[in-house]
Amino acid sequence: MYGIFMECWVALKLYGGNGVLLVLFLAAAIYLTFKEENIKKKVMLGILPLVVLAGFLFPVTKIVYVAVFNSDGGDTYYRVLWLIPMYAVIGYAACKLIFSFKKKAVSRIVMALILAVIAAGGSLVYLNQYVSVAQNLYHIPDNVIEICDRITPDEGKPRVRAAFPSELVHFVRQYDTNILMPYGREMLEPGKDYYNPVFEVMEKPKVINAEELVNATRETKCSYIILANDRKIDTDLTELGLKVLDTVGKYIIYVDPEILEN
Amino acid sequence: MLLILWLLIVPMLIGILLNGILPIFRRTVGITFILGYLAYFGLFEIIAIPCMTRITYGAFGYCYRYFFASSIVLAVLGLTRLILVLVKEGPSFLSVFPGDTHAGARELMSPRSDPKGLKLDYSVEARIYWGIFFVLLAVQMVLAVVMSSFDGDDAYYVVESLLAQQVDVMNTIHPYTGISTSLDIRHAFAVITMWIAFVAKGSGVHSTIVAHSIIPLVVIPFVYLVYVEIGRILFRRRQEVIPVFMLVVSFLMMFGNVSIYTPATFFLMRTWQGKAMVANLVFPLILWIFLWLLEDIRETSGNGKLTWMQKVAPWFILTLVNMLSGICSSLGIVFGGGLVALYTLVLLFFRKKWTCLLGAFVSVIPSMIYVLVYMSLRGA
Repeated sequence: MYGIFMECWVALKLYGGNGVLLVLFLAAAIYLTFKEENIKKKVMLGILPLVVLAGFLFPVTKIVYVAVFNSDGGDTYYRVLWLIPMYAVIGYAACKLIFSFKKKAVSRIVMALILAVIAAGGSLVYLNQYVSVAQNLYHIPDNVIEICDRITPDEGKPRVRAAFPSELVHFVRQYDTNILMPYGREMLEPGKDYYNPVFEVMEKPKVINAEELVNATRETKCSYIILANDRKIDTDLTELGLKVLDTVGKYIIYVDPEILEN
Repeated sequence: MLLILWLLIVPMLIGILLNGILPIFRRTVGITFILGYLAYFGLFEIIAIPCMTRITYGAFGYCYRYFFASSIVLAVLGLTRLILVLVKEGPSFLSVFPGDTHAGARELMSPRSDPKGLKLDYSVEARIYWGIFFVLLAVQMVLAVVMSSFDGDDAYYVVESLLAQQVDVMNTIHPYTGISTSLDIRHAFAVITMWIAFVAKGSGVHSTIVAHSIIPLVVIPFVYLVYVEIGRILFRRRQEVIPVFMLVVSFLMMFGNVSIYTPATFFLMRTWQGKAMVANLVFPLILWIFLWLLEDIRETSGNGKLTWMQKVAPWFILTLVNMLSGICSSLGIVFGGGLVALYTLVLLFFRKKWTCLLGAFVSVIPSMIYVLVYMSLRGA
C-alpha cells in the first residue's frame, strides 16, 4: 500500500511541477474551509476539493482506477486531479481575500501580489519548448506542405505511399490523407517496440544501407522516399534506379519509377 | 461566413429555441449560448454514433447530411421563435451577460424577477478590470492562431477529422499509415473529431485548419464564459468582483503550464482535443450547474414561482453536459459521472429531497447507454 501511495504522491508532484500553483490551491482550499461563511460554497470549493485530493492520494483509488482503465491506467491517473476545480477555488479564494480589506489601496496591492505570484510561480504556456510561431494556418511545417504538394496524386489517380523521416511523420497525413506511409507515429511512441521493415532500415542505423532501404520500400510499395540531405547513406539512391524529383529545404524527394509506373 | 454560421449562429438559434425552459433571470445571452451549444453537441452525438456503428460505407456522408438537416431545422425553429418573441416582448427578452438589465421599478415590483440577478452599476475600477480581462482573452485567441504547439496525438485525432472530410469514413482508416482497419472502439466514440470534420466540410475549410486555428477561437471564450457564469453565482450580490475573478482565472490559464498534465496546458496547447474540452469545459460546466442548483435553494427570491420546466432546466442541461463529456472522451463519461455523483451527494445533503437523486439519475442515462453500446461493441 505504501508503494502505491508513493506512486500517487509522485504523480501529484509531477502534476504540480514546481509546486507553487499546487501550494496556492491548497492554501485557497484551506482558507475557504475556515473563512467562508456560506456553508454551500465552503463545501463545494473548500472541503470537497481537499477530499478529492486526499482520495487521489489514497492507494485504493489508484487500484480501482487501474482495474477500470487497465490499458493505460497508470499513465492517466493524474487526470483524477482534473475533478478538482482548482482554478475556480484559487480564483474565489483570491477574490474573497482581496475584497476582505477595508482600504481599497490594500485590496489593489493584494490583487497585484496574487497575480504576480501566479505569474512568477507559474510557467507561461507560450514559452513551452513545444510552442513556436506558426508557419501557416495548418500549424504544420511549410516543408511538409511543399513536399506533400509535390507528391500528392492527381485527382482520380490512386493514392501514393511515401517513406518520410521520423521528424515529419506526425504532420504528413494532417495535411493530405491521399499520401499513405509505411510507418507512422506508432513507431515513435516511447515504450512501444513495434517492428516495421522500412523503419528498421531507414531510421535505426546511423548509416543507411541504401540497398536494404530500397528493398524495403519496394516491398511496401513506396513510390517516394524523402531523406534529409545530411542523413548518412552508403550509396546514392539514384544509383539504384530512383530519381530525384525535387529538393524542399533540406529534404530530397526521391521517386521510385519502378513502383510509381506499375 | 459559413464558419460563423456553423460555429455561432446555428448553436445560438438552437439556444434561443430552447431558452424558454430557463428561469427568467437566467435567460441571458451567455446561458442561452451555452444551452444551444450543448444541445447542438447532444444532437450530434445522437446522429454520429449510430451512423458510425451501423453504416459501413460512406458513414460520414450520412452523418453529415443528417446532422446538417436536423440542426438547420432546429435553427430555423429558433429563428422563428426569436422573431415571434421580438415582436411580442421586444429586444429586452434576452439580457447580455453579465446582467445588463438594470433593476428598475418594474423588475423590483414584479414577483417574477429577481433583482439580485440583475445588473449592478460597475465602478470605473471594475470596468478597467473587465477591459484588462478582455485584452488577455483577445491575446490568448490571437496567439492560438499565430502560435502553434506540437502534440503527437494530433497525428491521430486531427487526421481522423481530415479522413472524415476527405474520404467520408468514420474511424475506419488507420490515421497513421492510411490502411483500412476495423472501428477503433476505444477512440471512436469520442466523436468530437467527427464534429470538427462536420464544421470543416460544412464551411469548406481544411479540417486541420479548423482544428488548429478555428476551434480555439470558439473554445477559449466558451470556457471563460462558463467561468463568468460560475462567478455570477459565486458573487451574486457583488458583481463588481467578477472581473477580478476572471483576471485571476485567466492568469492561471496562461501561467498554468507548470507541467504537461494541467488543465491549463491542455487548454492552450491542445484546445481542439476532446481531453482538453473535458478538463476545461465539461468539469467547470458540471460545477456551474451544481452551484446553480445549490443557489436555487432559498437564495433566489423568484424560486417559489419557478415552473416545473424551469426547475427541471438545470438537470436537462446537466444531461446535455454528460452527453458532451462522451463526445469529448470515453474517459469523460466515467469522470463526469463520478463528479455528478459527488456533487449530488452535496446537493442531497442541503436539499434533502429525493428528486435530486432522480434528476442526477436521469442526467446520466445517456452516459449509461453510451457505456452499454461501447461495451457491447468492444465485446463483439
